[in-house]
Formats: sequence, C-alpha cells, structure tokens
Amino acid sequence: MDIFNQLMAGFAIAITPINLMWAFLGCVIGTAVGVLPGIGPAVAVAMLLPITTKVDVTASMIFFAGIYYGAMYGGSTTSILLNTPGESGSMVTAMEGNKMAKNGRAGAALATSAIGSFVAGTIATVVVTFASPFIAEHAVKLGPPEYFMLMMLAFCTVSAVLGKSALRGITALFLGLAVGLVGMDQISGQVRYTGGVSELLDGIEIVLVAVGLFAVGEALYCVIYQGRESETRNSMSKVHMTREEWKRSWPAWLRGTAIGIPFGTIPAGGSEIPTFLSYATEQKVSKHKAEFATVGAIEGVAGPEAANNAAITATLIPLLTLGIPTSNTTAILLGAFQNYGIQPGPQLFQTSAALVWALIASLYIGNVMLLILNLPLVGLWVKLLKIPKAYLYAGILIFSTVGVYGMRQSAFDLLLLYGIGLVGVMMRRFDFPTAPVVVGLILGPLAEAQMRNALSIGEGHWSVFVQRPGSLTLLIVILVVLFVPNWLRRSKPKAAG
Amino acid sequence: MAITQTNFETAIGAACILLGAGLGFGATVISSEAGYAGVGPNFLPWVVSITLIVCGALLVWQAQHGGFAHREAPEGAIQGDWVPFAWVSAGILINAATITTIGFILSCTLCFVFAVRGFHQSQGRAGSGLSGWLRDAAIGLSIAAPVYWMFTKLLAINLPGLTATGWI
Repeated sequence: MDIFNQLMAGFAIAITPINLMWAFLGCVIGTAVGVLPGIGPAVAVAMLLPITTKVDVTASMIFFAGIYYGAMYGGSTTSILLNTPGESGSMVTAMEGNKMAKNGRAGAALATSAIGSFVAGTIATVVVTFASPFIAEHAVKLGPPEYFMLMMLAFCTVSAVLGKSALRGITALFLGLAVGLVGMDQISGQVRYTGGVSELLDGIEIVLVAVGLFAVGEALYCVIYQGRESETRNSMSKVHMTREEWKRSWPAWLRGTAIGIPFGTIPAGGSEIPTFLSYATEQKVSKHKAEFATVGAIEGVAGPEAANNAAITATLIPLLTLGIPTSNTTAILLGAFQNYGIQPGPQLFQTSAALVWALIASLYIGNVMLLILNLPLVGLWVKLLKIPKAYLYAGILIFSTVGVYGMRQSAFDLLLLYGIGLVGVMMRRFDFPTAPVVVGLILGPLAEAQMRNALSIGEGHWSVFVQRPGSLTLLIVILVVLFVPNWLRRSKPKAAG
Repeated sequence: MAITQTNFETAIGAACILLGAGLGFGATVISSEAGYAGVGPNFLPWVVSITLIVCGALLVWQAQHGGFAHREAPEGAIQGDWVPFAWVSAGILINAATITTIGFILSCTLCFVFAVRGFHQSQGRAGSGLSGWLRDAAIGLSIAAPVYWMFTKLLAINLPGLTATGWI
C-alpha cells in the first residue's frame, strides 16, 4: 500500500506539464537516436549532460530515462527496415525482422516490436516499482566489503564474461580504470596523474570519454572504412497485425519479458544475452520453425524485442537501489546523478524518494508516449533514414562539440575528444569492447573508495572480505560467474549428456 | 613498407605496456599514506599499472602467435581511406582551434563543411565546386545556430560566441 501511495505521489510530480514536456522530449530524442545509425542512447545522454548544470534534477532524469528506453523502440525500426542494426540490442531483431520486411511484412514486424516493447517495458516497470524498494531496504544493510564485491561482480561480467575475449575485455576495463584514476582521490584528497594541470583535478569528464569513443570514434571509423558501403532499405508496408499474428506474438512477448527482466536486474548487464536467449527459445517452441531465417517468423521479432526492452528497463533496479551501472547508458545516467551530488544507492529511496518515484512514474507515462510515437507515427521516423550519411555524421560532430564544450568550456577538451575518438577507432577495428571502459571509468573511483573503507573496517586485513558472510557469498558468486561458463564450454559434450 | 596486421596488433600490445609503465612511473610519486586501511592512494594505481603491463604482454604474445584470439573480422573495407579521414580530422581540429575566437556557430559550421567534404570523398563523390561548399555551409549553419541559441538562450549554458550578444 505504501508503495502504491508513493507511486501516486510520483505520478503527481511526473504529470506536471513541465515534466511531461521533458518526458516527451526525451522519448522523441530517444526514438530519433535509436532510429539513426551511428548514434546511440549512451552518447545522446552524454552529449546532453551539460543540461544538468541548469535543469532541475527530476526533470533531467525523466528526460534522460526517456532517451534511454526511447532508443530501444527506435532501434528496432532501423534494424527492420535497414540491413544494419541501429543499436546492439537490436541485432537479433535485425535477423528475423529483415527477412519479414523483405517478404513485404515490414508493417507487421514493426507493429509486433513496438507493441512488444510496450508490453515488456510496462511489465518491467511494474517489477521495478515493486522490487526496487524491497531491494533497497535490504541493501541498506550492505557494508563497504559487500559493495566492493558487487562492483567487482559488475566489472567481471562486463569485461571478462560477456565479450569474445576476456583479455581484451580486461584490457578495456583497466583502460577505463586508468582514466578514472586521474584527479583527486576520493578518500584522501591526494592528487593523481594530473601533471599539474588544474583542469584535471576533477578528473576526466565522462562526457568526453563517451562522446569520444562512441560519436567521434564512430564518425571517424565510418569515413575511414565504410565510405563505399551502400545500404539497402526495405520497403514499408501498412503497420498492422492480423489476428493470427497477434496470437503468435503474445506468448513470445511474455516469454521475452520473463527472460529479459532477470538479466537486466543482475549486475551482468547488456541486453545482448537475453535477446539471443529469447530468439533461441522462440525458435525452439515455435510451431512455424520453417519460417525462421527464411521468410521471417514474427515470434523471432516479438520475443527478442520484448526481452531487450525488459532488460533495459530492469537495469534501472541495480542502478537505483545499489548505484551500480551495468551498461554504457546506465553508467552515464549514474554520472548524471553525480553531477547533482546525488549518489544512487539504497539511501536514495529515503533521501530522494520524490525524485525516484517521479522517475518510476515517468517510465509508465513514457512507455505510452513511445507506443504512440512508434506505431501511428512510424512513417515520420522512417524519413530520418533518408538523411545522407555525410550530413548525419557531420551533424553528430556539431552535437559532440556542444556536449563536450558545454560541460567545461575548454577548447583543450576538444583536442582530447579527437584523441579519444582515434582510440575508439582502434578499439572497434581490433575488436575491443568499449562498455568496460565507460563502466571502469565511472565505477572505478567508487569501487576504490569502497575497498579502502572496507579495509579500514578490517583494520588493514584483506580477510575482511571473507569473514563477512555477505561479501564471502558475493565472492563465491564472482568465482562461479568467472569460471563456470568456461568450464561448461570445455566440457560441453559431457554436460549435454 | 606494408604494415601488417601482426605489426599493428603488436603495437597495440606495446602501447598497453607503455601506458602501464607510465602509470607505474607516476605511481612512485603518489603518497602511500594508508591510515587504517593499510593501502593508500597509490594502491590502485599500482594494480592498474601492473595489470595493463601484463595485459599488454599477453596481447603482444597473441599478436605474435596467430593474432588476437577470437577476433572478429572488422566491419568495412580492408584498406582505410586516409584522405577523407584527413578532411574530417581537419574539421574537428580546426573547430578546437577556432571555437574561442570565432565562436561556436562559425567554428562548428567550418567543422561541418570539412567533415561533409571528407564523407563525400570517401563515398567516391567528387567535390561539387563552390555551390556545393556553399550549400554545405548553409546546412551546417542551420544546424549549429539553433543548437547554439537553444543552449545559450533557453538553457543559459555558456558557449563561446563571436560577439557577446548570444546570437552569434
């Protein structure tokens, strides 16, 4: 009942005209960046971080959240109509959605992904509503050793477990940690690696790294390697689903949601695993197996799209209750909170209850807005795909300048931006994951502080991490996460029997 | 001299080792004042330094022994297009060099024009003469100016202008 009252109070704040306007603006920008290839939600939020200096915290968090999940709706439009996914979570949608579109069923694919995203997003928001206060209540009891272990878990999954190569993942993570070292140490105030440059005392801005890696890096990569590529576009058809298609979509949406939510919640982020899992599940249980990868099966779009949205929404649970980001975008959202001097974590539900509940309420509202933006108005978004690549990327460079310069008013940052862009090109060319860099940069200083606080509690003894049952359990979970997938891979023939 | 894939990968590994070594060198001057924790502000720098050196060494080893493990073939062309790249780079760098003197709108428009030129060249489209440049400049201006006004007028965020009016 208490949750219900607080949620209603949240709605009261979220439906004020000004907040509705921010939510709507966020959804529109989110859908646009989702549709546009070459720019994703992480970089869009990063570019707009300067607004945190002027806009009220509730409004800007509602705005950023709108961008975050709006991009997931928009991303599917691109992956269905264009033969390249708009953002990574839409990779699977691209496989079946494309096949459907090639066979004149683009409209049905767009419909099932938009409605599926709505269903999954709404169910996941309900889960966020009820699970977060519960988790926060218990998380209050966690001390620095447990927090440190949770952060280690996030580091391990994001760098070593999810990628193709643990070595490159770990290298990327430590690159992020190295960047995070620059500036003043949180605990002692000791200055590190600033080279006497006073601008570096506050550390290197997250905006700079995210925009450099994702926007400038992407633009440079595209001009160097992808200039001659021509994209083919599938033709639109009426956005409509037959009764039969509804019947086939429903169970897939629900299964996708059920798969997506847990993956978003645990600090093992990323929406790639749940979407692939959902796709595999749909393929297995479908009565229309022959349609998969041939003419395109609607379940193969419905399930993964739902899984994607459910996972994305559920990543807000670890972010809000533990302060642990599990994806690029949530890492930058954490940065946005920090700009306001707010540290997400279990106390957030007490100290900033109004903010949290307004944010959660806005998720419900945003999902409705996005359904409207993406179903009847999908034709408008499709027009965005007609923007020539040259103008698109050159425009992205202008927006990058705004984000980076607007944050600190330093022309030197623009040079750094170019340098980080070059690093981004190299990382993409040589198959290094970029998410660990951003997560390492944001979470690194926090993890260091937790570690040193934990050791202070243990009076300098590392055994503090194994003496407390909570942190020991988490340590075991980390070891399991690190070694079991490897071990399973090696003993696959046996495990299958 | 052709730069082979192996050389490139080795160079990346070497860069990691260098970065790690540099961080290690920097860590020697950071205080180790530890207090109750037993580890001080120089602890994480050392961990990062050593890990990067180890990762770099492993990357070099992989590069020399058949290349990075499980590396997927990169997207796009095998050979890079370096002249268009130079145009886009010039755009970004000119932007950085001029933003404080000629203001956000004009420097971003310059950046836009250079970048578009680079992209058109990478797509194999020849420059379309003065009219093309002017058209690109007009488009760049029509993006940069509203963005500038939105930030300076609506959000009151400082961006450099040519004049102090906040309009250009």
